[in-house]
Amino acid sequence: MQAIEALFPAHNYTLLAFIVLLPLLGAAVNGVFGKRLGKEAVSLLALSVMGIAFALAVVTFFALGHAQEGDEAARFFWKGWEWFRLTRSDGSSIMLNVGFSVDALNGTMALVVTGVGFLIHLYSVSYMAEDPGFHRFLTYLNLFIFSMLVLILGDSLPVLFVGWEGVGLCSYLLIGFWFDDDKNAAAGKKAFVTNRIGDFGLLVAMGLLLYFCGGLDWSTLDSNARGLLTPLQVWPLGTHVPAASLLPQGAEAWLNTPRYVSAATLVGLALFLGCAGKSAQLPLYVWLPDAMAGPTPVSALIHAATMVTAGVYLLCRLSFVMVLSPAAMATVAVTGALTAMFAASIAFAQQDIKKVLAYSTVSQLGYMFLGVGVGAFTAGFFHVITHAFFKACMFLGAGSVIHAMHARIHDTDASQDMRNMGGLRKYMPITFWTFTAAWAAIVGFPLTSGFFSKDEILLRAYTSFIKTPMKTLSDGGGGTMEVFSWPPWLGTALYAIGIVTALMTAFYMTRLYIGTFFGEFRGWKIVKNWKEPEHAHGHDDHGHHHHDPSVPLEGPVPHESPWQMWVPLAVLGFLAAFAGWLNAPLFHIETMHHWLEPVFEKASHSVELIEGAEHLEFVFLGAAIAAFLGGTGAAYFIYVMQKGKPAQSFAEAMPGLHALVVDKWRIDEIYEEYVIGAVDSLAEFFAWADKWIVDFLLARVTAFLVSTSGTVLRFLQTGRVQTYAAVMVVGLGVVGWFFVTPRAEAKVDANDESGVYSLTAAEGLGYSYRWDLNNDGKWDGDKGDFGDKTQQSLNLAVKENRTVRLEVKNAFGRTAVRTFNFERPAPDRSGLTSRLDGDTAPVRRAADLRQAPKPQEVK
Amino acid sequence: MNSLGYFVEQYVMLAGALFTLGCVGFLVRRNVLVQLMSIELMLNAVNLMLVAFNRQHLNDLNGQVFAFFIIAVAAAEVAVGLAIVLAFYRLKSSVQSDEADQLRH
Repeated sequence: MQAIEALFPAHNYTLLAFIVLLPLLGAAVNGVFGKRLGKEAVSLLALSVMGIAFALAVVTFFALGHAQEGDEAARFFWKGWEWFRLTRSDGSSIMLNVGFSVDALNGTMALVVTGVGFLIHLYSVSYMAEDPGFHRFLTYLNLFIFSMLVLILGDSLPVLFVGWEGVGLCSYLLIGFWFDDDKNAAAGKKAFVTNRIGDFGLLVAMGLLLYFCGGLDWSTLDSNARGLLTPLQVWPLGTHVPAASLLPQGAEAWLNTPRYVSAATLVGLALFLGCAGKSAQLPLYVWLPDAMAGPTPVSALIHAATMVTAGVYLLCRLSFVMVLSPAAMATVAVTGALTAMFAASIAFAQQDIKKVLAYSTVSQLGYMFLGVGVGAFTAGFFHVITHAFFKACMFLGAGSVIHAMHARIHDTDASQDMRNMGGLRKYMPITFWTFTAAWAAIVGFPLTSGFFSKDEILLRAYTSFIKTPMKTLSDGGGGTMEVFSWPPWLGTALYAIGIVTALMTAFYMTRLYIGTFFGEFRGWKIVKNWKEPEHAHGHDDHGHHHHDPSVPLEGPVPHESPWQMWVPLAVLGFLAAFAGWLNAPLFHIETMHHWLEPVFEKASHSVELIEGAEHLEFVFLGAAIAAFLGGTGAAYFIYVMQKGKPAQSFAEAMPGLHALVVDKWRIDEIYEEYVIGAVDSLAEFFAWADKWIVDFLLARVTAFLVSTSGTVLRFLQTGRVQTYAAVMVVGLGVVGWFFVTPRAEAKVDANDESGVYSLTAAEGLGYSYRWDLNNDGKWDGDKGDFGDKTQQSLNLAVKENRTVRLEVKNAFGRTAVRTFNFERPAPDRSGLTSRLDGDTAPVRRAADLRQAPKPQEVK
Repeated sequence: MNSLGYFVEQYVMLAGALFTLGCVGFLVRRNVLVQLMSIELMLNAVNLMLVAFNRQHLNDLNGQVFAFFIIAVAAAEVAVGLAIVLAFYRLKSSVQSDEADQLRH
């Protein structure tokens, strides 16, 4: 341990770079040379980079444990390099590094990612062995692990975001791995687009955090998080609502009342939107069930164990930000609880084994968010880990079953349909027993991992709540707001939803378990020593082998999977059964809690427990065991003792409801109709605008106008000399007329302060002038003759009015008259004082100079 | 009448009449030769104006010199113009100006 600490000091922990970059190396080499290297070399490389990364993660984990002897949070950094620099409006700059750091939280997460990742790589080597895209698959898996490690080990939000987008990309690539099928490609696209909606929230949150906290790395955010306790006016957007004055007065006042939201709530909600996208929460969960179109190891790794828990990880990582807003936390908890229940209800009626597991994953993610939302970060994160074990085990078990089904059933949907399974317990003992362990964990069989983690979440859902940071917030500039406080009934409601969901989970999981492994095998008629009649089929090769339905399908005894597939199953099954002992507060084992305590130390100040919480532990334990017994008992009664008859009669009694649940509450159809429909109509509108405004109005009408005017003007271009000459003669006449008309114009120079106004008459060919300055109605001069005086000036007293007339005569004897009005305004006092102070330039008032309308008297 | 016993207005009127005659002739006749003659008439009206007004400035002969220039330029112009008319006649066997429409069609 000393050697490691000496080699890799905490402030320059370069081992992190190796952990992150090894999978990238594997992806790069396999991606470029994979086809030429051959399957053995590709799998060796992919597995060894994962193995080494896992080993390094273990070393890091223990080094962290060694460093975290006291209460201090240990954190190892690898600074990386400067990425970019932002300049703020006050001139200071914010530097963002490509840096990585590891502490108890992401050290544990890295262990799960690399560990489960390694097992699933091992499984994939066998599961995908026959696939022509083998090297491509392992490349994507390695790339995914790289992105996931960037996500969890990144030391700042932008680095996390790179990983966040990276896992989204890998998820897209792997969901659409068999892209020749349109359905798979569409599922990948759906996952990507839905995630982009969430990413928008994450970007907004980053912008707000940058603004309010002045940085995006964890330590800056940690120390400046209280800057978020500022009210922000979110309504009205300007100074008032436009057109609100048309409404009655009461409504107008109500609309125009400024409304405030604390910056912490905005950040919390924006972060949660991002997390809801990535972790498939309401209303953005729709992509995850479709993501099952990818190969089963992908479902296990990305869509159960690691990527979808990134949202929970992010909320845990920014727990100190989240707890500043009880409203955002309540949103997280309520959304989590509702998602858990909603997804569980859909899982009731699904026949596809992977679909059931997918909805179960959404439901379990809901539990994690429930835990995080009520401030039980350790419990939520602990569920991430146990869920990674038992759900990965279940998915891999399902993959093993599908693998066996592919011996005779090659259609993707049919091979995953539970109605074709049954009785596999006898043929696939290892898969059966590992699946049993995972099943026990998820239904909450006492003392399994899921039992401990789920019950901790349920207990905390009832007992803990988020303290309001202060009663009111003020931004110091008149904006104040009241802070949302956690209503007392919320805990009870959350717990009720949670426990009902636990009951439902036990029921549908037992239904799946019984349907797959018990009863009689329904896939085909088992014939001993059966041989493939014509051509051999590989696994997952999707050559749709249509069978005559009237002849019963015959096939061999379903076989157990090879060791590369059952070893990961065994390891994960073991962990699913026993990982709960990492944190079993019931038996006063709180290893996990103590391990993560320093990470959540700051956030835990904002979380409180209701009174008497410690006495509730055993009551809740009873309720949880009752939920487990009730759910499994009901499923056993319906599907084993009654052979599924009550379920059938229920479906017949309420066909509408049953069809609705089978169709997943038709949420996809609602989205199709309203969200996608709205986007489509927007697109149609723009297409219309493009066609009729851009193409028609701007392009064709303009072209038409030009060509029309050309056609008209062409008639003027007769080519006849006489026509042109006639136009010239007319033009000459117009110019001549202009020259023989006199114009009386004068430039006025006004000085209000001295009272001197001077006029300069405009000159012209052969012009002579006469003036009437004193406004007596007579022209100045002896006889009122025209002279050559072009300049005149006059003095005016304050507030005196004067009208001046000017007449000009040109060489042809034609005349024109013009009248000017002057008024000298009163001196400007404020201008005077400022002039006396001498610090500002004198303020000059615009002269109140009005020019009379032109009486162009032409004589 | 000015001090020399001479009415400039009469010359102006004569020149105006000549110019108008040339202008109308140019506009209404289609025969290119007649049009050239009309142009000559207008040029000579201008020459007459220049000489008549120059008589008012006893120490300045600019107007008269200018009239000579115009006579010289008009001679050159007639030479070029007649050459064009000849070329045109060879092309169209006509001296009607409205038949000069090759650029248009």
